[in-house]
Amino acid sequence: MKWPIWTRIPVLVLALMTAGCGSQTEGSPEAENRSQPPEGVIVAMGDSLTEGLGVPEADSYPAVLQQMLEERGIHWRVMNAGISGETSSGARSRLDWVMKLKPDIVILETGANDALRGLPPENIFENIDAIVTELKARSVTVVLAGMKIHPNFGPEYSRNFADIYERVAREHDIIRMPFFLEGVAGRSELNRADGLHPNAAGYREVARQVLPYVLDAIERHRSQGA
Amino acid sequence: MRTVKRLYREVSHSWQQAAVFFLCVVLSVVTLASVNGFASGVAAVLAQDARALHAGDIIVQSRQPFSDALERAVEQVQAEGRMQTARYWEFYSVVQTPGDEGALLADIKVVEDGYPFYGRCILESGRPFSEELRSGSIIVERALLERLGIAVGDRLKIGRAELAVADVLVQEPDRPVSVFSFGPRIFVSRSDLERLELIEQRSRVRYVLLGKVIGADDPEALAARLQQAADPVQERVETYRTARSGVKRFMDNFVFFLNLVGVFTLILAGIGIHCALSAYLREKTGTIAVMKTLGATAGFIITRHGLALLSIAIGGTLVGLILAAVLQSVLPVWLSNFLPPSPGLTLPWGALAEGFALGVGAVALFAFLPLYRIQSIKPAFIFRNETVPPPRNVVYRSALAAVAALLIGLILWQLKEVKTGLVFVLGAAGFLVAVAVLVSALMALLRRIRRGPLIMRQALRGLFRPRSATRSILVTLTAALTVLLTLVLVEENLDRSFIQSYPPNSPNLFFIDIQPDQVEAFAQVLDRPARYHPIVRARIVSVNGEAVDRNRTRQPKRGDSLTRTFNLTFRTDLLEDETIVDGRGLFGADGSENQVSVLDTAAELAGVEIGDRMVFRIQGVPLEARVSSIRTRTSESIRPFFYFVFPPTLLAEAPHTFFTAVRVEADRIGALQGRLASEFPNVTAVDMSSVIRRFGEVAQRLSTVVRFFTLLSIPAGMLIVASSVFATRLARTREAVYYQVLGARNAFVRKVFLVESLTLGLAASLPALIFAETAAWLIITRGFEIPFVPLIGTALGLAAAATILVTLVALIPSWSILRVKPVVFLRQQTQE
Repeated sequence: MKWPIWTRIPVLVLALMTAGCGSQTEGSPEAENRSQPPEGVIVAMGDSLTEGLGVPEADSYPAVLQQMLEERGIHWRVMNAGISGETSSGARSRLDWVMKLKPDIVILETGANDALRGLPPENIFENIDAIVTELKARSVTVVLAGMKIHPNFGPEYSRNFADIYERVAREHDIIRMPFFLEGVAGRSELNRADGLHPNAAGYREVARQVLPYVLDAIERHRSQGA
Repeated sequence: MRTVKRLYREVSHSWQQAAVFFLCVVLSVVTLASVNGFASGVAAVLAQDARALHAGDIIVQSRQPFSDALERAVEQVQAEGRMQTARYWEFYSVVQTPGDEGALLADIKVVEDGYPFYGRCILESGRPFSEELRSGSIIVERALLERLGIAVGDRLKIGRAELAVADVLVQEPDRPVSVFSFGPRIFVSRSDLERLELIEQRSRVRYVLLGKVIGADDPEALAARLQQAADPVQERVETYRTARSGVKRFMDNFVFFLNLVGVFTLILAGIGIHCALSAYLREKTGTIAVMKTLGATAGFIITRHGLALLSIAIGGTLVGLILAAVLQSVLPVWLSNFLPPSPGLTLPWGALAEGFALGVGAVALFAFLPLYRIQSIKPAFIFRNETVPPPRNVVYRSALAAVAALLIGLILWQLKEVKTGLVFVLGAAGFLVAVAVLVSALMALLRRIRRGPLIMRQALRGLFRPRSATRSILVTLTAALTVLLTLVLVEENLDRSFIQSYPPNSPNLFFIDIQPDQVEAFAQVLDRPARYHPIVRARIVSVNGEAVDRNRTRQPKRGDSLTRTFNLTFRTDLLEDETIVDGRGLFGADGSENQVSVLDTAAELAGVEIGDRMVFRIQGVPLEARVSSIRTRTSESIRPFFYFVFPPTLLAEAPHTFFTAVRVEADRIGALQGRLASEFPNVTAVDMSSVIRRFGEVAQRLSTVVRFFTLLSIPAGMLIVASSVFATRLARTREAVYYQVLGARNAFVRKVFLVESLTLGLAASLPALIFAETAAWLIITRGFEIPFVPLIGTALGLAAAATILVTLVALIPSWSILRVKPVVFLRQQTQE
């Protein structure tokens, strides 16, 4: 401990950019050492909700999803490419980097940080639209996770924000999960005290909700390949 | 009447020692009464500041509506008449102009009547906050008006309601606590809360209940009661002292410093009084012996001298108290730039009484032992010129124990905390033993010097003449100088961390999330020199082949952890407040390996040194690099810093965003933010200007007060140096006379005295320097828990000044002695 809070401001500002300093382990959820080579690669691209802020890596939703797929005998590799605090602009900028992971399927979960900062919905739409366009151009099957912002942001803003995902999905004919935090948001037993991030049980529920859409995407990918 | 005359004769006969004694009493009383009186005043003002930073005594907050159990507990406390409450709801919302021309994220605070309990919401109109914030109206920050292009009187859509802007907010007392905010503030009246229709189950709201304690109830006790009823996970109950804002720490540190000054002054005063008394009584030894020969009893003599001393003590105490009272009335005027007007800043009667008790008490305490020694003065001393041995009976020993106990008691009382007090007492005792041992060693060393010029040998012999009090003077001087030096070092260190964190050009506006293709255009609009730091988000996978594991990695201070996400950056040069502590330049010349420069704090966290290997995972892609240098920051100021710096060739490809921090004049922030927001909607600005201004003010204020108190104790210390050197005056007069009788010239005698005094000065100030650095280091790192800067230059300068002071003070009496004709002096001696 050093000196009072104001000398810590840089730390706070940087922490702001990290959107909280989660202290989970960067383990290896991937099925790297499995004897059977994976059939395909799923990249979970997103913000802290994907990264699994506040829980160990093994409890983040991509890790749980991988487990659920394995239990069903589906040998796909799920990679966690979540960055806490990232906005849709950041996601758009790093798309090339994500493509280095050679994904067959991308679960795109972004926009929540934009909304928390009240950024214009039109701007968020442009970013997500550009990401999806690029992914489709590279023959990646996209699962777009819809997001809703808390009602206190105002009726108009909340509505415009939620519409973004529907618009993109409609225009690109991709798989859309209506709300990423369905059944989790607003339930204190599934969330951390910050009221923003799920706890381990919450992430498990998220993975359970995501699973059918991922199965659908795998189906689509297989049929495209065939 | 006869007694008064006799007392007058007694005192006037050795008026110089009496004067030193008197001044010691005056100064110690002034310092102690001021420190104590002013400390309680300042502490009250600071407590007020701390309360204002939270707007209440008790702060209860939750992310959900308060639980029934907590509500019941609050109701009960209210029903008992022990606490007043005011609630507020704080949340973000995107507000719009009625025609939907503009929309902006705002930080909304819906407040109940009564808010704020402490501090004031200052409005541009100057009208009271409670009158302006009525149903249907809102109060906003100027930045909001500028960014939406509206004016006072215009309406704004918040949720489902349309409310009119009634006034502009200039300052909000508890704003700094939330530190940063993504949008300008809007105050809404509680009566409009339901109309907004913004709060429902899924809303993200900070529910806050402020409590103002009525009467003399202890906020901590009430808070503990509420805490029992609160949900341990969701609901947090704090007081203005415990809330996580650094205020408590800050306050405690400050009060601790003031008490420290009090204790140090007490010790200095004690030493001074003891010195002056010993010298006074030493001069009286002959007289007392004669009186005993004539049949005076010890009781009679002790009473006589005791009364004389007591009258000086009472006189000194009274004069000291009057001066303290004058100082107290002048001080607030002098400090008015820094301290708000407050009725707390007068000398309270309590402090006056305390000062009086301390003044007379300290004299009684320190005077008892020298007085008691009078018993042992035998008539034979007239002829034998012996030193008076301390009596070794039970009374003397128990008196010694009583004196020690009283001193410890006084220190504990002054520090107001038993544990710290005991640590301090033990430390002080250890310190005195160390000083005594060191002085003995030093004296043994000096005594061995048998060669060298005559002047030198004579000077050293002078120091070790049989009846000289060199040992006790050296111990006294070393102790006093140590205390003084320590105080200055502690003060300088505190000042550095208070003030230098807030240079006037600190950045106040931070921009995050600037995308690489926006930097150029952004810089054009920003139109001021700024450094754009690329930021790459990454995790650390392993250090020297050992995986970073949450369970295995130690969790060091500050709660930082290797397992979190870090912000890496890339560049080729050092920032202006960085220096390399290990390595040649940021990166080595060998380009065959990936390199990373690590900040010292991060190196400590990761346990790495130059040459160690670290593996990072940058969003799925691993990157191994060798540590090429360790950097450190030269200031604790609020500027951006980075733990890990890479060469651009390595990271420029990785996904990154840019971050910049600039200084913008407060009145231009709103307009600039508006322009940047319309052109770069994805860039988030964080306006820290009000927070920085507020903290800067508080820091400045404290620094001034701390400096003032340190200055106050310096004359006290100097007086002690003077009095202890004066104490040997008689002996050196004799010596000078003998030299002259033996035919020495004045110049020779002067030189001998100069070397003698210089030796004394050096022998006291050099050890004092070492002790002071050690003590200051302990106090700063253990007591205040902030980084310690040894300030060698300042310390050496002080030690040199102390040496010069001691030399001068020691020489001045010699000068007058040399003017005395030997015959006159010898005649006086015989008469006595």
